[in-house]
Amino acid sequence: MKTERNLMTIATVMFALNFSILCFYSLICVTTTFRICDTLGAHDFLTLVRQIPRYPWQMPVQSLSLYALLCAVSYFKIFRPIEHFPLRVVICATEIVLCAGIIFSLDFYYSGVALLVLADLVHYIRSNKLRLCFIVILSLMFAFGRYEIVSQFTKSIAFSAYLSYYTPITQGIFTSLESLMVCLNILLFVLYMILLFTGQKAENERIRKLNEQLNQANDQLRDYAINMERMTQMRERNRLAREIHDTLGHTLTGIIMGADAGLALLDVAPEESRKRIQVVAQTARNGLTDVRRSIKALRPDALERYSLAQALEDLVENFRLTTSAQITYCQEAGELNLDSDEEDALYRVVQEGMTNAVRHGKADRVAIRVSRTGDVVTVSVRDNGTGCDKPEEGFGLRHMRERLEMLGGTLSYGNLDNSAQDGYTGFFITVELSVRNRKGDSL
Amino acid sequence: MKKWIWKGHVVVLLVLMLCLNLPGCGGNRKTVLTIGVYSGSYWNTPNGNCYQILDDAIALFEESHPGVKVEYASGIPAGDYSEWLAEQIMKGTEPDLYFVLPEDFDLLVSSGALAQLDERIAEDPDFDTSLYYESCLRSGQFEGSQYALPHESVPTIMFVNKTLLEANGIEMPDNDWTWEDFYNICDQITDVDQHQYGVYGYSWLDAMYSNGASLFSEDGRSCYLAEENVLQAIQFTKQLGELGGGYNVSARDFDVGRVAFQPLLYSEYRAYQPYPWRVKKYSAFQWDCVSMPAGPSGSNISELHTMMLGISSRTRHGDLAWEFCKLLSINEDVQRKLYTSSHGISPLRAVAEDPELLQQIHHDIPEGSGFSPEMIHRIMDNAVVVPRFDAYDQAMIMAESAIQEAASNQLGQSKMLIAQSDINIFLNKS
Repeated sequence: MKTERNLMTIATVMFALNFSILCFYSLICVTTTFRICDTLGAHDFLTLVRQIPRYPWQMPVQSLSLYALLCAVSYFKIFRPIEHFPLRVVICATEIVLCAGIIFSLDFYYSGVALLVLADLVHYIRSNKLRLCFIVILSLMFAFGRYEIVSQFTKSIAFSAYLSYYTPITQGIFTSLESLMVCLNILLFVLYMILLFTGQKAENERIRKLNEQLNQANDQLRDYAINMERMTQMRERNRLAREIHDTLGHTLTGIIMGADAGLALLDVAPEESRKRIQVVAQTARNGLTDVRRSIKALRPDALERYSLAQALEDLVENFRLTTSAQITYCQEAGELNLDSDEEDALYRVVQEGMTNAVRHGKADRVAIRVSRTGDVVTVSVRDNGTGCDKPEEGFGLRHMRERLEMLGGTLSYGNLDNSAQDGYTGFFITVELSVRNRKGDSL
Repeated sequence: MKKWIWKGHVVVLLVLMLCLNLPGCGGNRKTVLTIGVYSGSYWNTPNGNCYQILDDAIALFEESHPGVKVEYASGIPAGDYSEWLAEQIMKGTEPDLYFVLPEDFDLLVSSGALAQLDERIAEDPDFDTSLYYESCLRSGQFEGSQYALPHESVPTIMFVNKTLLEANGIEMPDNDWTWEDFYNICDQITDVDQHQYGVYGYSWLDAMYSNGASLFSEDGRSCYLAEENVLQAIQFTKQLGELGGGYNVSARDFDVGRVAFQPLLYSEYRAYQPYPWRVKKYSAFQWDCVSMPAGPSGSNISELHTMMLGISSRTRHGDLAWEFCKLLSINEDVQRKLYTSSHGISPLRAVAEDPELLQQIHHDIPEGSGFSPEMIHRIMDNAVVVPRFDAYDQAMIMAESAIQEAASNQLGQSKMLIAQSDINIFLNKS
């Protein structure tokens, strides 16, 4: 983010500036000490300040090594993010202690390093309470870590005493340089804070907008869900109707026709009649199972137990037995390993096609052909019935079409040509369904 | 992450331990004790081998403290010693113990360069403060605490030009003489036409000390400028000054034998009275010394200057420094050697007043010395030690300028009272 990058840049500049300030104070104190000694002014200087200075190496070594540690901790914090909260607090406390150490090692000449640490920590800690706590501590350090205040309680040599060794012009240069750097540090701090807080404000605004959008999307989703539910209900109702039509209608047709045939044969061939009635009973039982199935899962039982090919064969066989129609079943699609909804649809097409041929077309020959070209499975049902003068889409056909359309397939039907050589001149239903290619499919 | 931090902590700890142990694990390296010392004599008198006593003491010390080596930088003239010491303090390389010049004592204590010795004195069973002259010990005290031990002392005494006195038919004054005697002799001697004067260099402070007065209280909180005995001293010095009729007597006048009296340090007497040095200075006349004349409310006493030894407040060998400090200050053998070869008076009663030693010291003086054990006892026991405190120098300047102003106008107690209250305000502020 741009703000983040700017903050980083300002922090880096502040770190560099504070380093220069530390070097400035250390250098002035050390070099002045040795210059005073070289020009035989040591006794006068001591008389002036009435205080033994610290070891000359002490200020640069202590302040710069502590500063190096501070930089290391700050760097560590950025590049190795810590999730553990107490550890974060420990790191912040370490920085504050190091800051106090630096101010102390500089003899309280400069407390601006507290601002650097403050900027660093305010950015790092997001907890408002802790932030406030750090702000108070570091502000106090900045305000009271001044030589003018601390010198009331401890004895140390004023920086101005070192400067007094130089000529007024040099003194002026050093003083200007000092205040320039100190002011720059404060300015950078203020800039940092402004950027930090405006950045946070912009971020809050962005979050608020995103929230609004999210709420809108939620509303839309809710509406959509309601619609969806309504549609699902509708579809389910249709499906239920289809199932009833498919299973009950088919079975009952079979039973009626079987029973009729049984009745017709009762006198002529009682034995045949008994067989037919047995088949009728079996069909009724199968129908009952189908109905149960439908209620349970609205799925054909045969499909539940067998593969589509097997289920179709059973269906055809049953149909042959319950009606007197001659059924030609030609399966050229090989192993049909389809998804259950596709299997359902094709099964119903064959079932519906056969039922319609016998029930409406009064056909006695039905030809069923299942073939496959690539992903497209084609099922055609033809009969030698009367066909349909005005083919009206009845309940069965409509649901067949709807079901197929849902799967992306097509349904065509109509009367066959009278000139057909194979004798099938009645009605035809052709289904083309592009099946989903399943893994492990043989084709 | 946690592991990583722990490792970091362990490394930091190890480094710290290593750093702390480095100075200690140097093997069999000798402990070096440094001592700050000047060459020549602080009292501005010729001194043969100035390091002899110190070298002997070091040998003694190193013998009794195996593994310790005492070192010093030689060749620092006494005049440059203050600056040298200040430089060392500035650079943080000051010796573990060092000689403290009387005029530096105040500065070194108030700047915190000298370690306080009260605790060591109280805890050391071998250290008996009653062996010292109280005045000598007091020289090393600042605001009631001991910061330095006396090494040798030099009181102020009055030099008398015997030749001049004899030429005017005046008898040599004895050690019990008073201001009156002093004034009378000066009055008789003074002859502006003959270019002959009574006294040179006798300050109002000299007069004040011998009049039982002191300018400041011990704690440095009050000034006694307007006290009766102080005013008497000021008045007396003024009268003496008026004898010469406005002529400013110089040191050269005394050196060539035209002045009867000059207060000088005892060390001058020790250096120039015996041969061979007596031909070098004050050779134009016969001279001797007496104690300072006593004022109406005081006695024959004067200010005492004491060379001291102090321990640096930043030393790492405080105990050794204390031992060596004691050796130079309170060890009788060392003090005896010092007494005979240097020009001061030992701060130890037993050494300073030892008749045999005095005999040995004064045997070179042709006419014999007036410094009997009794006289030394009297001078040393009653000597004035000016109380030292932070604002002493500034307060002294204020007092001097008040007296200067009063001297040019009419001396009045009311003016002195005003000055005194000004100084008191200043003292209580600082």
